[in-house]
Amino acid sequence: MATNPGWLQQRIPISPEQLREFTNEPVPNHLKRWWFALGGTPALLFMGQIITGILLAMYYQPSMLTAYESVRQITEDVSFGWYIRGLHKWGATLMIAAVILHQMRVFFTGAYRAPRELNWVIGMGLLICTLLTGFTGYSLVYEQLSYWGATVGANIADNVPVVGSLLKQLLLAGEVYNEHTLSRFYIIHAAVLPVLIILLVALHITMIRLQGVTEFRFEDEPEDKPRSFNFFPDHLYTELIIGLSLLVILTTLAVAVPAHLGPPADPLSTPEIIKPEWFFYVAFRWLKLFPGTAAVLSMGLVVVVMFAWPWIDGAIRRRQPSSELSVWFGIIAVLAIIGLTVWEAVVAH
Amino acid sequence: MTPHDVAAPGPDEPIERRTVLGGMAGMGVALGLAGTAGGLGWIASQFLYPAGGRPTAWLYVAIARDIPKGGSLSYTGPTGEKIAIARQGETGAVEDFVALSSTCPHLGCQVHWESVRQRFFCPCHNGAFDPSGIATEGPPAQAKQSLSRYPLKIQDGLLFIEVPIPTGTGAAT
Repeated sequence: MATNPGWLQQRIPISPEQLREFTNEPVPNHLKRWWFALGGTPALLFMGQIITGILLAMYYQPSMLTAYESVRQITEDVSFGWYIRGLHKWGATLMIAAVILHQMRVFFTGAYRAPRELNWVIGMGLLICTLLTGFTGYSLVYEQLSYWGATVGANIADNVPVVGSLLKQLLLAGEVYNEHTLSRFYIIHAAVLPVLIILLVALHITMIRLQGVTEFRFEDEPEDKPRSFNFFPDHLYTELIIGLSLLVILTTLAVAVPAHLGPPADPLSTPEIIKPEWFFYVAFRWLKLFPGTAAVLSMGLVVVVMFAWPWIDGAIRRRQPSSELSVWFGIIAVLAIIGLTVWEAVVAH
Repeated sequence: MTPHDVAAPGPDEPIERRTVLGGMAGMGVALGLAGTAGGLGWIASQFLYPAGGRPTAWLYVAIARDIPKGGSLSYTGPTGEKIAIARQGETGAVEDFVALSSTCPHLGCQVHWESVRQRFFCPCHNGAFDPSGIATEGPPAQAKQSLSRYPLKIQDGLLFIEVPIPTGTGAAT
């Protein structure tokens, strides 16, 4: 085949210079510090989730009669099924942790402040989508945790005033868990939420590119040093190193703590000791402390406050420009989250 | 576009017929699109909203006098719900009996009977209920939610209960 050097150039009319300019956003120096690469981490993990998720979907069968058996088959019979499932499960765990850490980093560095309020809102949307993907994911296994998790989740939705009943019906495809429920959870987990996440991430990154990341200068940096470095190849190498490290961590976890299979769902009995995945411990403990609607409304209020925080913080800082009240607020919130999580983790009931 | 391009006609300038017609056509298109989107949205929501209404039927449970005072039995309805039926009196009337759903009114988990503490307990969020189904601890007690009761009747000495029955082919499996 004759090679024409201009062939590709004709089809994709972008010059190498344009391409370099397009991808080569100067990256501020502070991104060399690892805790500033926490946004790339969930993005990398999400890519892994898509790949392992597609592989798992080749065997998974979303119905009450077949779901549990198909997960058992993946775990025990299919070649490397245990590994793919382990990667997917631990990938979800790490992704949720990374999203939370990223959000904490943004919060405590005040990176949500004007003009980046909207990107904080997009980030909140991503946090919620990520948590919902985790929830719908463990509901698919159709073990006891899946069944009762789905039931409790739908009834939490039911406690939302006005639209609650509709939400529950739409989620379960009925008043109670039935033969159409699993396929809804599956389509939400594997199609609706991932597409939403991709759109939100695209928006999130576009906003960052438009506004540039918040620049920090640390005390130990010499004044005359350039304030940024190139995305390609420098920052890409950082991301590559993070990606490879994640693969090592995920593999270690998948081998050392393999994804197990609990007892199959039994609609007739709730296990004596039942807890959701760790990222819902806070909500689970909260639901034990307060009656249904009060617990659901107060959790909703917390979410609304989190969405609106850039404006709440702005109002506080207009009154007291030097106030760092948000840092104290954040510390209290983090301690409360840790406290409730540990409380739920250490007790049987 | 400069502001000049979109400036509305001043008070003395006559509004052109073409502008008005163009605006009306634009609004018409917008309304049509909104209507179409709304209609499709409505159809989608109807499609997603499950067919409602579950029929019920009176089903035979036991010979009433076979259950002594203080006795109970667990009954499984045709759609799989677990029901605790207990006798609390000796008048022989239907008021002696109570049929309690085992579904916790808080968030839908299954309660179980703890004979040592003489209570129904929900392991999900620590709800507890006394033998007649009234909430005593946990979120259900705070919200004053009791275990729901099923209607009972006695006919010719036989105890009957009204429970949901399966519909269609799917529910029968």
